[in-house]
Amino acid sequence: MSRRESRLRAFAAKVRGFLRRHRQDWEFDHEIQEHLQLLAERFVVAQGMSREDAAAAARRQFGNTTLLKEDRREMQTFLRLAALWQDWRYALRVLWRSPGFSATAIVTLALAIGANTAIFSVVNAVLLQPLPYPQPDRLVALMRSYPERNYWSISVPKFVVYREHNLTGGDRPKQVKEIHASAGYFDVFGAPITLGRLYTDEEDRPGGPHVAVISNGLWRGRFGADPTLVGRTVRLSGDPYQIIGVLGPGFKSDPPADIWLPLQADPDSTDQGQYLRAAARMRPEVTLGQAQAAMKLASEEFRRKFPDWMDSHESATAVPLRDTVVSGVRPALLILLGAVGFVLLIACANVANLLLARATLRRRELAIRASMGAGRWRIVSQLLTESLLLSLTGGALGLFIGFVGLHALLAIEPVSLPRIGEHGAELTLDSRVLLYTLLVSLFTAILFGLIPAISATREDLNATLRESGARSGGGFRQNKTRSLLVVTQMAMALILLVGAALMIRTFEALRSVRPGFDGHNVLTMEMALSGSRFEKTAGVAQTLREVEQRVGAVPGVEAVAGACCLPLTGGPDLPFAIVGRGPAFSSYSGDEQWRNVSAQYFQVFHIPVLRGRVFTPRDDAGSAPVALINEAMAKQFWQNEDPIGAQLLIGHGLAPEFEDAPRQIVGVVGDIRDYGLNNEPAPIMYVPEAQVPDGISALDNRLVPFVWAVRTKVAPFSLIAEIQQEVRAASGGLAVAHVRSMEQVVGESTARGDFNTMLIAIFAAVALLLAAIGVYGLMAYAVQQRTQEIGIRMALGANPEKVRKMVVWQGMRLAVIGVAIGVVAALGLTRFMAGLVYHVKTWDPSVFAAVAVLLSAVASLAAYIPARRASQVDPVVALRYQ
Amino acid sequence: MDVKKSEVLQGTLDLMILKTLEALGPLHGFGIARRIEQVSRDVLQLNEGTVYTSLLRLQQQGWITAEWGTSENNRKAKFYSITKRGQKQLELETKNWERISGVIGRVLRLEAERES
Repeated sequence: MSRRESRLRAFAAKVRGFLRRHRQDWEFDHEIQEHLQLLAERFVVAQGMSREDAAAAARRQFGNTTLLKEDRREMQTFLRLAALWQDWRYALRVLWRSPGFSATAIVTLALAIGANTAIFSVVNAVLLQPLPYPQPDRLVALMRSYPERNYWSISVPKFVVYREHNLTGGDRPKQVKEIHASAGYFDVFGAPITLGRLYTDEEDRPGGPHVAVISNGLWRGRFGADPTLVGRTVRLSGDPYQIIGVLGPGFKSDPPADIWLPLQADPDSTDQGQYLRAAARMRPEVTLGQAQAAMKLASEEFRRKFPDWMDSHESATAVPLRDTVVSGVRPALLILLGAVGFVLLIACANVANLLLARATLRRRELAIRASMGAGRWRIVSQLLTESLLLSLTGGALGLFIGFVGLHALLAIEPVSLPRIGEHGAELTLDSRVLLYTLLVSLFTAILFGLIPAISATREDLNATLRESGARSGGGFRQNKTRSLLVVTQMAMALILLVGAALMIRTFEALRSVRPGFDGHNVLTMEMALSGSRFEKTAGVAQTLREVEQRVGAVPGVEAVAGACCLPLTGGPDLPFAIVGRGPAFSSYSGDEQWRNVSAQYFQVFHIPVLRGRVFTPRDDAGSAPVALINEAMAKQFWQNEDPIGAQLLIGHGLAPEFEDAPRQIVGVVGDIRDYGLNNEPAPIMYVPEAQVPDGISALDNRLVPFVWAVRTKVAPFSLIAEIQQEVRAASGGLAVAHVRSMEQVVGESTARGDFNTMLIAIFAAVALLLAAIGVYGLMAYAVQQRTQEIGIRMALGANPEKVRKMVVWQGMRLAVIGVAIGVVAALGLTRFMAGLVYHVKTWDPSVFAAVAVLLSAVASLAAYIPARRASQVDPVVALRYQ
Repeated sequence: MDVKKSEVLQGTLDLMILKTLEALGPLHGFGIARRIEQVSRDVLQLNEGTVYTSLLRLQQQGWITAEWGTSENNRKAKFYSITKRGQKQLELETKNWERISGVIGRVLRLEAERES
């Protein structure tokens, strides 16, 4: 028999033995007793011994029975396992017997672990989960690349050239519900098909048929999962499209869409508008580096073919698709994960302190166990088991708290994070989150359990047993350990508080930023201007006039505007030239923000006119082309000159249908913050809606919804029904979507930052509380220990004031050391927050000073309570105190 | 050194028990101890408790089985008997033992000759 087989058999026997261990114990005892008895009888009969002598002789001949039993157990079962089981049961009993301590420890841990679980489940969904496509790591976004940054938008000609360059191409224009996608789109994203077919390359050619592929959701929702749907014609934007296929149920596009139409990109297009998003799937053998090199090559080829259509420092590159989705939120999430990690460490320190205090109460128990022969490892493992039981219970509770808490938080404060779904619906308890929580719990147990366990077993047995019971206080070393823990807590709490203070300062700064417009009492809504009548500007202008008329007549309405976009939501940029100045002009930059707005836009948003005039209804298709610019644009391109009267050539270099006649600047308006409150105003040119080139109108209306903004004299929501009704009637029955007050729009623009601020503030508050409890616990314990000493001092004439000061000072000393360490650490760590803060330096001295003072004040308060107790000690009672 | 010595002894005891069970059929622990005492007389001093350790080991390897039965004096006792696999093992071990003891014997004789 091989050695291995023999071991295996022994193992199997052990497993059996473990399961039947009590029965076997009894059988073995019986066997041995029988044997001893038979031996003894033999001695009596053969040698005439007395019963006692015979029994003794029998035992001698038999050998050490206890040792034998131990040997047997070792052989027959897993001694360690049995001990472990014993430890668990013992731990359960111990913790059950001190419910106050256990509950405190478990709740502390549950809150800390719960917070970690919550943040991790977000990190998991947003950063760790692969994209929901086959082999997601092969997907790349094709971007325009500039030395400063990359842009995920390219023009049709670039797409056509890049598509030929060995990479499978797919693309997705920015659209709300429909996606115009090339035939390669479905290959790239591995879209499964349920019914019918996908469109072919032939159908994707310019002038190809009007066909459509629809989502599974639309098929089930709108068409009742009709299996004969394929072949039917539906009207989209007034045009007939034949449905040729239904996608599989699992397919999720980003942005979510229900209908896919062939892009039918024209290879001869001269359109320079960068409104396509291109993505590609790399072949299995291609590395990211190779793909990037290929893109660079493709961009060089494009430059050779169309030297005028590319900026001098423009190139192209490939970026992992996942980065485009999450790179914006990654820093904030990692900072939150770090912050919540600190909370966990502080909680660990607290529980460790609790355990240390408890260990002194249990010293006699442990000493007795040790004197009965329990090895040091055995006792450490016993104590660690207790810690483990605490942390696992805390972890289980934390999982629940974290998950429920997170969803509650998201319900109260909806935040638009990518990939978490509506109200965090995509945040699920998957195996990774469960594993993370388990690991955090185990790690926590070791972290807070090991120090007390080791220090508890380091003690001198004899000294402990000789001491007089309950009041046997912790030795010097233990207090040192506990002080160290409190100092660490203080330092970590300071870091978190500094982080929170920086976020709160940012929050305030953003609230006090002047956005350049007044969003109060403004109602906004979106409308997709779909249909052939909106392919020309005249159709849009016509609708605009009617809406202005009808909505303007609603009582309570002050002004009505239509535009491409609302303030704070960004918009398109277009190339332009200043007539009479060559490209040699030093600050000529090529592209600037461009907005088509109606005459009352500036009135609705209270954007001031600084010079000249704003648009009037007379600035229509028949009158001279005019434009407005904002102050930032005036400053950048005219410095001290007067821009009024100068002429702009907008759309310069675009496809002919986008080219514009020279426009005269008739006024300068105030700046608005258009790309987030934390970004300085950018130059903007405004064009009257009625004068927009037809080509741009057609493109805009195909891609993005038009917006309406109405200034009201009363609360804007009170007029929703009437305004909505009038807008619909005036537009010929088009649907209105996304009705919000402008204040909501502003709120949404900072929602993510506010969410981060709230979370970090919560974490910091928890940290502050835990740290205060830590200081309080240590000082209260120290005072209790020194009651006798304090009593003597007072008996000898020390006044209460002095005693109080002594205790507070001891607590404060720890706090101050912790604060000092924390300040240094925070200086190193807050750098990582640079991208999250606004109008405050990450090393802002006032923030650091305020936080240090706050933390010290809280610590002194926490120390003051035990100090007061100390000063009230009655010397007579204290001296008798045992 | 101690460990190695006991291993040799353990193996020896295992072999003796197997042989005993093969020769005498099912026996309880006490009976095995008596038989070994009988055979070895004064040559082998042994703590009878170690018989039980050995019995456990043999059981774990599946070379013997145990069954509850009634002893000569009408008491409940565990009876051990050798299994088929145990018999094979015994054969193997016996051969091994003979070979090794032969070798050792030769070596010892050689040493003795050189010394003389």
